[in-house]
Amino acid sequence: MDYVLQQLLNALAFGAEYSLVALGLAVVFSIMGLVNFAHGEIIGVSAYSVFLAAALGLTSPIVAVLLAIAAAALAAVIFERVAFRPVRYAPTTTGLLTAFGVSIVVQNLFMLLISPKPQSVSILNGLNQMWFFGPFAVSSLQVMELVVAGLTILALVLFLNRSTLGLAIRAASRDFATVRLMGIRANRVIATAFAISGALAGIAAVFIIARRGSVSPDLGFSLVLKAFVACVIGGFGSLPGAAAGGMLLGFIEVGLLVALPQEYGGFKDALSYVIIVTLLVYRPEGLLGQRVELGDKEI
Amino acid sequence: MLKVENLSVRYGAVAAVRDLSLSVGQGELIALLGPNGAGKSSTINALTGLVTPAAGRIVLDGVDISRSRTEDRIRGGLTSTPEGRHIFANLTVAENLRLGAAIRRDAKGVRQDIDRFLALFPVLSERYSQAAGTLSGGEQQMLAISRSLMSRPKLLLLDEPSLGLAPKIVIQIFDFIGQLKAEGLTLLLVEQNARQALRFADRVYVMSSGTLRFDGPPTGLADEHGLLNLYIGG
Amino acid sequence: MSHSVEKIMSPAAGRVVQPDRLLVRSLVGGLVTSLPVLVLGLLVLNLAPTYYTYLALAAFVNLIVVVGLQVFMGNSNIANLGHSAFVGLGAYGVAVLSTPLAMKKLSIPHAPFGFATLQLDPFSAALVALLAVGIVAAVSGKVISRLSGVAATIVSLALLIIVHSVFLNWTDLFKGNQAFFGIPKVVGLPWMMVLSVVVIVLARLFKDSRWGLQLRASAQSPQAAAALGIDARRLRLMAWILSALICGLAGVLYAYFAGTISPKLFYFQQIFITLAMLILGGMATVTGAVTGVIVLSVGLEFIRSIESGVTIAGIQLPQLLGLSGVALGVVIVLCMAFRPGGISGRYELDEQLSRLLRRSA
Repeated sequence: MDYVLQQLLNALAFGAEYSLVALGLAVVFSIMGLVNFAHGEIIGVSAYSVFLAAALGLTSPIVAVLLAIAAAALAAVIFERVAFRPVRYAPTTTGLLTAFGVSIVVQNLFMLLISPKPQSVSILNGLNQMWFFGPFAVSSLQVMELVVAGLTILALVLFLNRSTLGLAIRAASRDFATVRLMGIRANRVIATAFAISGALAGIAAVFIIARRGSVSPDLGFSLVLKAFVACVIGGFGSLPGAAAGGMLLGFIEVGLLVALPQEYGGFKDALSYVIIVTLLVYRPEGLLGQRVELGDKEI
Repeated sequence: MLKVENLSVRYGAVAAVRDLSLSVGQGELIALLGPNGAGKSSTINALTGLVTPAAGRIVLDGVDISRSRTEDRIRGGLTSTPEGRHIFANLTVAENLRLGAAIRRDAKGVRQDIDRFLALFPVLSERYSQAAGTLSGGEQQMLAISRSLMSRPKLLLLDEPSLGLAPKIVIQIFDFIGQLKAEGLTLLLVEQNARQALRFADRVYVMSSGTLRFDGPPTGLADEHGLLNLYIGG
Repeated sequence: MSHSVEKIMSPAAGRVVQPDRLLVRSLVGGLVTSLPVLVLGLLVLNLAPTYYTYLALAAFVNLIVVVGLQVFMGNSNIANLGHSAFVGLGAYGVAVLSTPLAMKKLSIPHAPFGFATLQLDPFSAALVALLAVGIVAAVSGKVISRLSGVAATIVSLALLIIVHSVFLNWTDLFKGNQAFFGIPKVVGLPWMMVLSVVVIVLARLFKDSRWGLQLRASAQSPQAAAALGIDARRLRLMAWILSALICGLAGVLYAYFAGTISPKLFYFQQIFITLAMLILGGMATVTGAVTGVIVLSVGLEFIRSIESGVTIAGIQLPQLLGLSGVALGVVIVLCMAFRPGGISGRYELDEQLSRLLRRSA
């Protein structure tokens, strides 16, 4: 029983992290069709900001958490301003390759300016403890991850449904030109979407730093690949799809960890991708995606 | 109110609008007629700034807005109800109306305006919390016009409000347009349906193949053959 | 619309020409495009010191990879970020099949399915390895050709990770993280040059073929192409398999000239470099692929010499690891923003030349 609960918590915590990152990708994709490969480097900027602040004498974990989120949001907005705005109205492939280029640049800047080797960051280690509920021992980090991801998603849903800017983001995902006809500034809508996307990445970064206790140049890259896969299986551009896809991926991974013999553990990622790609054979548009008719998307 | 001088719109090698000049006076309802492909929608898109004109000047209330961004033109008091309605199908009726008032800060006034349109179009009131995509074509058109009016514009551009609607609904929509004119709103109406457009028009422009072919009072066009000739370009 | 038609039609296709003349034109065009490659190869072969021969060999491998990448990306306009999976499969394929038994005893004594006691001659090994690449490409292509552009790109990445993870973890067969050594070194510059030319001509023939034209048309305007009865899925699958085979061939050649391979060679580093080459050169044309490889190979070698720490005016600069990566990324970002068509734009080298000739005539 203990074991089952533990694995369930594992799956939920993994899934929550993937969902947060995948939602960040989906928010940006849904309104401007950008496949943001540089999302992982937003997580990287966030993590290295915490590393630098700690190296410069920051000791408060709370400030570190706030810094991580703010740095990520800011990085996302700056990436948009500098790299993505010139290709805003370009075809999807152009934006995708631009983002891929940004990802390479930033990853290598971490190497060049800081170090190719992982750097230790211990400021958030306090988040990672064991909590005891009667006979159960659970990781505080996993519980927090689940709770925080839940609250974050709730806040996002409220924002998108209640605030004018949130409504504009939802409207822009279908018909950007008409949103501008309402007098709503396109740049503001897009900057907000990027800031949200970045903040979600920053929250994920907090948990990553706390769990790993170190930062490295490729910190966010593989996580974002997983988040992309989560988006694809959920239905690319669909926000509920991204959240559901992230959870599904978490469960598949933990399921494989449980099912695979120890010596095949290295195949976990490969097998979870195989499972997901197989699912795509039967549902090419993803689980919650709609089959978009060609020409549906207005410019 | 609005003055357009020597406007040209090009898409690559294709000229959609050539050297077009027109004016809309305070409180006027101007009809811009012409066949499919005459350049009417390109004109509207140039006025709202969704396409960048190749040449020409657009002056709104004495301010040259030729280079302004779409958002700033809307904030300057010009609004457009685009062809094909373009309601936000994934948002509710209420949310559509709220977005229409996005540039306003007076919450109370917005509330009053919403109540006014709901009273005017009871069906919008019935469907208030439903996705706007579930409305019928005519209902969507009513929503689209109401949404445009939520910004309290000085000048409303209406692009093909009758497009794809049943005759009975078209009459209803135009009655509403007449009522807006009576309330003092300035309107530029783009239409293919000349008969309806001419019901309330103060003046008429006719375009074909990107150029202006007629400019004058509706009586000058009353003869349908004359209009037909203009359409064909004869 | 007229704009996109103009894009699709090469000047050669603009007039009505006999099919066999079109074929000849593509063939000649491909040969013209490969001329610079041949010239550079011959220069290196006859004049350059050994170190540069090695560099040239590596550049030729990149060339074949980039041409392979162009076959899919240039015609379907879908980004492929997983092509190194096929390069790796080709390389590991011949490694497992052709490495001498004595070496295998040291490196993979526990290889399953009798591979530990199997040794094929290099040519047969290459054929079998390419067959394996073709099978993996056919299976993955079945999925990828069904998906929309973005999803297809993500799945291509997933494929890369799956294949890489198999190399890393199936240690009995692939030696995992360690270098796989002892592969017969049977390929030198001449072979590399010949096969580069073959591949360039092949890519050009595909691009100018009915299938290539239809695929490019469907990438430009999916609805119009579908209305003409073009089966875009089948065409994407064809391009995917051809692209994979060319990349696989690059892997085979790499293994046969280097003699030693390891999984990390066929991972993101290679993806970055080859993608930047294709984008810089211009992915719409085979000429673009060739141009990008030549320009970036030279440029990167220069940057690497700075990266490893140079002495300028008596001052020893520190190592600047990551500099070449930054440069690659910047190349991609700037190209996309300011010149999405790359250096070559829409026209092949022979088409540019004939335009020049016509203008001056």
